[in-house]
Amino acid sequence: MILEEDQPEHLVRRDFLKKLAAASTAAWMTGEPQSLWAKTGEKVTHPEAKADACILLWMAGGMAAPDTFDPKGYLPFEKGLEVKRMLSTFPAINTSVDGIKICQGMENIAKVMDRATLIRSAVQPDLGSILHSRHQYHWHTGYVPPQTVATPHIGAWMAKVLGPRNAVMPAFINVGQRLEGVGESEELKAFTTAGFFGSEFGPMNLPFPEEAAQSVRPPKGMEPARFASRDKFFRKLVDLSPHRDHMSDYQQQSMLRSMDNAYRLLSSKEREAFDITLEPKESYAKYDTSRFGRGCLLARRLIEAGTRFVEVTTEYVPFFQWDTHKDGHTTVATMHKEIDQPIAQLVLDLEAKGLLDRTLIIIASEFSRDALMEGKPGSTANDQTTFKVDTLSEMKHYGLHRHFTGGTSVVMFGGGTKKGYLYGETADERPLIATKNPVSVMDLHATIMTAMGISPKTEYTIEGRPFYVTEDGKGKAVMDVFA
Amino acid sequence: MLPRISLFFLSVVGLSQAAPIDFSHQIVPILREHCAECHTGDKKKGGLSINDREALIEGSENGPVIVLGKSEKSPLIEVITSTDSDIQMPPKGKRVPPEQIALLKQWIDEGAVWEKGFAFKKPAYDPPLKPRKPVLSASIDGREHPIDRIIDHHLAQKKQPRPEPINDATFIRRAHLDLTGLLPEPEALAKFIADPAPDKRAKLIHSLLSDDVAYADHWLTFWNDLLRNDYGGTGFITGGRKQISSWLYRALVTNMPFDQFTRELIAPPNDESRGYIDGIKWRGEVSAGQTVEIQFAQSISQSFLGINMKCASCHDSFIDRWKLDEAYGLAAIYSSRPLDIARCDKPIGKQATASWLFPEIGQVDAKAAQPERLKQLAALMTHPQNGRFTRTLVNRLWHRLLGHGIVHPVDSMQTEPWNADLLDQLATNFVESGYDLRKTLAYIATSQAYQSTTQILTQETDDHGFTFAGPRARRLTAEQFVDAIWTLTSAAPSKMDAPVFRGKVDTEQAKKIAIQGRWIWGDSAAAGKVPPSDEKITLRQTLKLDADPTAATAVVTCDNAFILYINGRKVSGGDDWGKLAAVPLHGALKKGANTLIAVATNGGKGPNAAGFFLDCRIRMPDGKEITLATDSTWQWTPQFPAASKEGRLGAFDAKDWKPVTLVEAVPVWQKTIDSQAPALLAQGVSGSTRMIRAALVKGDFLMRALGRPNRDQIVSMRPNDLTTLEAIDLANGQTLADALRKGSSKLASEKWPAPDALTTHLYRHALSRDPTAGELTSTREVLGTQPTPQSIEDVLWAICMMPEFQFVR
Repeated sequence: MILEEDQPEHLVRRDFLKKLAAASTAAWMTGEPQSLWAKTGEKVTHPEAKADACILLWMAGGMAAPDTFDPKGYLPFEKGLEVKRMLSTFPAINTSVDGIKICQGMENIAKVMDRATLIRSAVQPDLGSILHSRHQYHWHTGYVPPQTVATPHIGAWMAKVLGPRNAVMPAFINVGQRLEGVGESEELKAFTTAGFFGSEFGPMNLPFPEEAAQSVRPPKGMEPARFASRDKFFRKLVDLSPHRDHMSDYQQQSMLRSMDNAYRLLSSKEREAFDITLEPKESYAKYDTSRFGRGCLLARRLIEAGTRFVEVTTEYVPFFQWDTHKDGHTTVATMHKEIDQPIAQLVLDLEAKGLLDRTLIIIASEFSRDALMEGKPGSTANDQTTFKVDTLSEMKHYGLHRHFTGGTSVVMFGGGTKKGYLYGETADERPLIATKNPVSVMDLHATIMTAMGISPKTEYTIEGRPFYVTEDGKGKAVMDVFA
Repeated sequence: MLPRISLFFLSVVGLSQAAPIDFSHQIVPILREHCAECHTGDKKKGGLSINDREALIEGSENGPVIVLGKSEKSPLIEVITSTDSDIQMPPKGKRVPPEQIALLKQWIDEGAVWEKGFAFKKPAYDPPLKPRKPVLSASIDGREHPIDRIIDHHLAQKKQPRPEPINDATFIRRAHLDLTGLLPEPEALAKFIADPAPDKRAKLIHSLLSDDVAYADHWLTFWNDLLRNDYGGTGFITGGRKQISSWLYRALVTNMPFDQFTRELIAPPNDESRGYIDGIKWRGEVSAGQTVEIQFAQSISQSFLGINMKCASCHDSFIDRWKLDEAYGLAAIYSSRPLDIARCDKPIGKQATASWLFPEIGQVDAKAAQPERLKQLAALMTHPQNGRFTRTLVNRLWHRLLGHGIVHPVDSMQTEPWNADLLDQLATNFVESGYDLRKTLAYIATSQAYQSTTQILTQETDDHGFTFAGPRARRLTAEQFVDAIWTLTSAAPSKMDAPVFRGKVDTEQAKKIAIQGRWIWGDSAAAGKVPPSDEKITLRQTLKLDADPTAATAVVTCDNAFILYINGRKVSGGDDWGKLAAVPLHGALKKGANTLIAVATNGGKGPNAAGFFLDCRIRMPDGKEITLATDSTWQWTPQFPAASKEGRLGAFDAKDWKPVTLVEAVPVWQKTIDSQAPALLAQGVSGSTRMIRAALVKGDFLMRALGRPNRDQIVSMRPNDLTTLEAIDLANGQTLADALRKGSSKLASEKWPAPDALTTHLYRHALSRDPTAGELTSTREVLGTQPTPQSIEDVLWAICMMPEFQFVR
């Protein structure tokens, strides 16, 4: 049996044992071998890390690949245009890489595509009914909801397995998503969590980049001096408490340690990373296209200060941003403006600071969009389009309004990935499905984890059973994307 | 070395001659050395146990590992022989030497003879099912409480000292927080300490537990976690999930016996408690292990039996005795369709037969209809011989009050308790009390074991098994912490999210309520006419409110059926006009214009009386009460909306709204209203003066940060540690800071004879004790002679951050 290089030994073994069992009439004796190694997650042979930090740029709501990174036949708006002829609503433009074109409106990103690996063949399951929250849950945890245990976010996996890069900085920071007062917020909370790892590994949520500084500052209206003396007074009271010894020491110490950590961050110099107003004006302006753009700036500052994983989202609010059920073209044009300049600047800045090689940037979305097709060919998913027209009469019908799971683009920069590299492709005519090298959510996760130096087989025991970073430890990294 | 040499010698002989194998001396040592670590005792790697012969013959999760008489066809020999590191056994470490392999081959060829009764390890603990009344040891030092007699005996056996008793102040704080979730008020503290009555602790316990509302407010959190009930969240948006909040709260307020409580959850008498077994119906496809039927199997097993059925609902469990068939048997009790068994998401071509886990006390009739099957399951679950059910519950309560389960973790009821007598005594007492939850709490809280000092833990404390050394300090739950903050600062919200009535029916209040609703219908009910059967109409009313209401209660009914929508959302429905339901509407009614739409249907055969009735009392933040009732200002249309999808009223735009007809009440209608409506409306009014409790509102940022779970899954134990991110929220979170600021302004505006008086008040309220001289001095340095709101805020924060505050100790 030949071992593939990217396959830690024991999983191959498990697969092999299974195959043997199936092939042989005599039943087979397995030993559920991976658990011998990996009960605590520590004994797994991790691949050598290609990146130390990770930034996920989340295009929430379903970013249409044909209108962004995978242009197809473009037809401008005209009354009477048949919807079935509509593939892309933006013309293609050249990028810094021969043979890679992306959509008009992303000229800045086009210039940095020579630092990118572009995967055009990411695919998702339909799950019967295509719902943003379920697909986002799937993408962010690697598991299709519902699950019997609270499932950790990929940022929590990194926080748990790798720990913080700088002990003062939270390992996992989530930028740009409000979790209160927006539609489906409960569904968003269900995956914006460390799940069974416990909140120590959970996200620090910063919905507004402009207010991030506030989250590590003393409470509003409290001067640093007062904050410091309040903390000092607190310590004094703890020391003076006659119950000091009656309390269970271990738990008390653990609680005080956490209070210490919090105070350390809130009074550290690292907390300046959270304050985007400290950025030089000229640099700030380059990111100042939108909340998302400013989020990219915050992400860069946080990574510089030592955060392990930052997610920046365009924010999921039903029927807004990338969730284009109507006015697709117009909305996507706005989205291009929001993301183009900041993403390119983030790449260039990290490169200039020498951080890009060890920072993996990922642009991804829960699925793509298409003018006609809900799901993928053969899908039984309900068509959720609010209007159904065969020919265009109004501008609001121009755009890609259905949820498409057959071919989605993912872009990676840095973190050991190839530069100016294209992986996978989709058909040029509808259905625009991945025709070469399809990449599942599971394998995409395995790729990301491998880049971070985490074996896709990493497991932790919860309620007496193993739970893996990729489903059942089966994720296979796409090794082709690495330089 | 000698034995090994002789073994080698023997094996060589064994190959050439037919000298029979000596199992005990030749085979056991080999298996023990190479296989036992992963395949004996509780260990079943790959589903294989060789603990005894029966288990060995049964084989692994993939089938037999030995073929008797044919070593060459036995996978066991193949894997120990193989040099391929991908398949060899043992997977790591020393290989099995050839001479030993030869012995094993011969042994298999001879039929794998096993010494009768031999097992590598004692069989894994198998908990008893039936209840047992333990024989109590003699009491020591006059400590008569059965719990103390058992624990004193336990300590004597382990030669461990008895933990010290706690003083009155520690006791009153602990009892208040444990039984009602609130800090004792300073006045109550002083009065209790001064009370010379020898039985004052028992009296306090009983008086706390008799406070229906405070008890229900507090224990709601425990039950919401265990029954995964919430006021919003996954599934609710798509109508795939129903709350049981109203039912649950009422069950707690009325102290419904737990056997009845369980029966109403498993076999719901009506829709109010149905949400528990119906689980979460997700839109789209789910894996075979997460269908509503399997969720039912998992939920029932975990909530009531402390069994983790999650493994077994995908494949035979590797960690305990439960099998795939058993999980599906439970699921089939609930299923109203034929249920294909799937192993790891792939159908195995076999259908599940409804059955439950402990046939020794009876079985469900698989041929009966679903409601009957559920009733049978409910009866079996609460069967007097099902000791597992009562043990599971009392163990949960013990865990809540003493910080560590008698079986721990509490959902591993398949494992051994640290003291079976204690568990069985509690369970027996629980049954004798009539499955009374409050009496059981009192039973535990009145013991000296409960009333002793908390154990000081180290990281190594349980390394050598559990020994009782007093209760363990428990971190305040998110709800307890927030309630405590709200108590200290008067910063509680004025409106709750939980659709519950806080209190029992107030008969005095009921007498004061005059019903204002009239029966209404469309033109077909005009004078001299009788509405046709099956007539379906839509009724509407709009109501403008200046603010969000603080409380709102409606009684609503229809002859024959109705669905009521407020602002496009279904809030109620019914088809039995003889039974009125009170509907809490404080969540549905909002500031601004509210639209009420009722779709009403007449039933019967041939023309017959029809009418819709609603009477709603709304309390506004300024205390004003508004009545909204069916009357002549309502409108109707013969059109009606399409069937509602997921609880939402779709687009409905009728043009021909006309004034309704007031219908003269049929005497039986009137009887229904007169006998039921005032009490139901009064229910909504009582309890409204109490502080809104954290358990009654949706989890906010602070509560989530402090460990209030997302209730997609059942939660039976919350984390006990404060994490750094939580600490950051405590240090600078806006929610907490706002509450503290509000409380400080209030405290600053009150007259304090001296700053020390304020400090003493805070210590008494927050920590149930007086500050020491040192604490007074230090606090005085912060407060100065004229405490400002700001300095009070800092002192309040510091006190609330102390571990002494953040734990029930």
